[in-house]
Amino acid sequence: MNRFDKASLLVALTEKLRASGSWAGETHIQKAMYILETVLGVPAGFEFILYKHGPFSFDLRDELGSLRTDGFIDWELKSERYRPSLKPGALSDALKKQFPTIPERYSREIDFVASRLGNKNVAELERLATAIYVTKDEEIERDARAARINELKGHVSLPEAEAAVGDADGLIADAKAQFANVMAA
Amino acid sequence: MANRIHEIRDPIHGFIKLDSEERKVVNSRPFQRLRYIHQLAMTYLVYPSATHRRFEHSLGVMDAATKIYDVATDPENIYHDSVRKLVPRKNELEWGYWRRVLRMAALCHDVGHLPFSHAAEKELLPKGVRHEHLSKDHILGEHLKPLFAELKIREEDVAKLAVGPKYYGSSLSVWESILYEMIGGNVFGADRIDYLLRDSFHSGVSYGRFDHMRLIETMRILPREDLGSEEPDLGITVGGLQTAESLLWARYFMYTQLYFHPVRRIYDIHLKEFLAEWLADGRFSVALKDHLAMTDNEVLSGILQVADDSSRKGHNQARRIVDRRHFRLLYESNPVDVEKNLKSVELVYEAARVEFGNDAVRHDPYESEGGSEEFPVYLRDGSIESSLKLSETLRKGPSFSVDYVFVDPDCKGKAKLWLTENKQKILESR
Repeated sequence: MNRFDKASLLVALTEKLRASGSWAGETHIQKAMYILETVLGVPAGFEFILYKHGPFSFDLRDELGSLRTDGFIDWELKSERYRPSLKPGALSDALKKQFPTIPERYSREIDFVASRLGNKNVAELERLATAIYVTKDEEIERDARAARINELKGHVSLPEAEAAVGDADGLIADAKAQFANVMAA
Repeated sequence: MANRIHEIRDPIHGFIKLDSEERKVVNSRPFQRLRYIHQLAMTYLVYPSATHRRFEHSLGVMDAATKIYDVATDPENIYHDSVRKLVPRKNELEWGYWRRVLRMAALCHDVGHLPFSHAAEKELLPKGVRHEHLSKDHILGEHLKPLFAELKIREEDVAKLAVGPKYYGSSLSVWESILYEMIGGNVFGADRIDYLLRDSFHSGVSYGRFDHMRLIETMRILPREDLGSEEPDLGITVGGLQTAESLLWARYFMYTQLYFHPVRRIYDIHLKEFLAEWLADGRFSVALKDHLAMTDNEVLSGILQVADDSSRKGHNQARRIVDRRHFRLLYESNPVDVEKNLKSVELVYEAARVEFGNDAVRHDPYESEGGSEEFPVYLRDGSIESSLKLSETLRKGPSFSVDYVFVDPDCKGKAKLWLTENKQKILESR
């Protein structure tokens, strides 16, 4: 994907997360993009490693900075009571018009991720994405995954980690049922 | 021999202190090599006094990182049980161990730099290899590893904190991640603090300054209660918010005035092209022995020799550098044209190549500066909020990108005229 394709994908993801009720901060975009790449096989080319609040891509962090510089996304503070969230920026319409292909091609995948993550807060996203990480990236044995999460993220209790593993398995199973290329992701 | 404290005078931080064991690392070949690597590549051709080196920057990063560690791990500055569980108690063995690891990681984070720092890094190393990989290799290598053993610290721990998880190649624990943030953090790590202040000082771009001492004094390790998570980040107390804002502006000014200066950028391109022709195999060796033997001095010597011998590879590029016959700016990204066509610069570049030939046109492709300014802030009532919620300056703060097209000075006038006459048509193409 060239930088405009990546940008249009991220703008579409931001829009759909917001439409699904997500607060759409940077952590939400990071975890949603991780699932798009790792579980659903959307080839945006971001590399993830376990870091802040679970799987994290330094390249994606920089990309989000570039998108803001270019006017494709922007911060929004709805009111003093709310946290700032990301929204499509002043040039996002031009981007969508000139680079529509990638968001159209992966529309179903983006919808799936947005609907599954839209109502989750950062702590829930952190646990779910970390559970997917130990399952798919570290390939930890099924029964050892919760303990591994607890080891990696000491503030996540064992019961919370076990619940996250269940959520991750459910999400991966649903993705397999709906998308042909999940196994290859 | 007694472990004495030594002092090195520094224009940014005053006296930088290190003990006899640490000084052995400073005296090692990989670190001494940094005396011969310009911090800002050939920026001195634009800003004549910007001739400082990676050597003093690395000492400065060690000093700033140590100050951050001492402030952030001080028990009086830890407000939450979840953080107390994470941070070793001050003056206990583990606290001292990680302080030492942090100092050595900060000191050695740049030992893998190529000649002229970042100027030629992407194109002249094997695919996927960056200077951070070479830093890691040196830290684990024959010169430094035995010195870390004398210091009773694990070289793997030093490497992790020096280059971070992306280049180390495996995950860091939550504690290690916090320590890495103290050195390489995107918002206000010691590396960024030092290079902004030092580059500002040496270039004379004085509005790159900010109150770093106040900023460091307010740094805290804070759980992300504001995000609903107990995982901590490096943040500040609310008293440091204005100096964090001024750092953002300092960064903006430094990028607009210095790092993205078009003449500086075109010299990087001429240097890259010279190296691609002059180096054996057209790129740098990643063997540590070869890396140690290659500094700015060897390259500059090569440029001067090749500039006087038209039969040598790289002659034309060497002449451009030596005779200051660099390419001139023809076109740059701008909001009006971008709104018409997002690929405006690429289209102008392609059209100019067709008109004037490949050899007469260069594209310095898109690069932006404007990372995340999001971090936790501890308020006077004990609550934690996102910096972006508290500060409109950080939320709406300036960011900057470049995308330049340059032409040979011999056809600059003609090219300017051609662009004026054809720009509209070029922007309407897809």
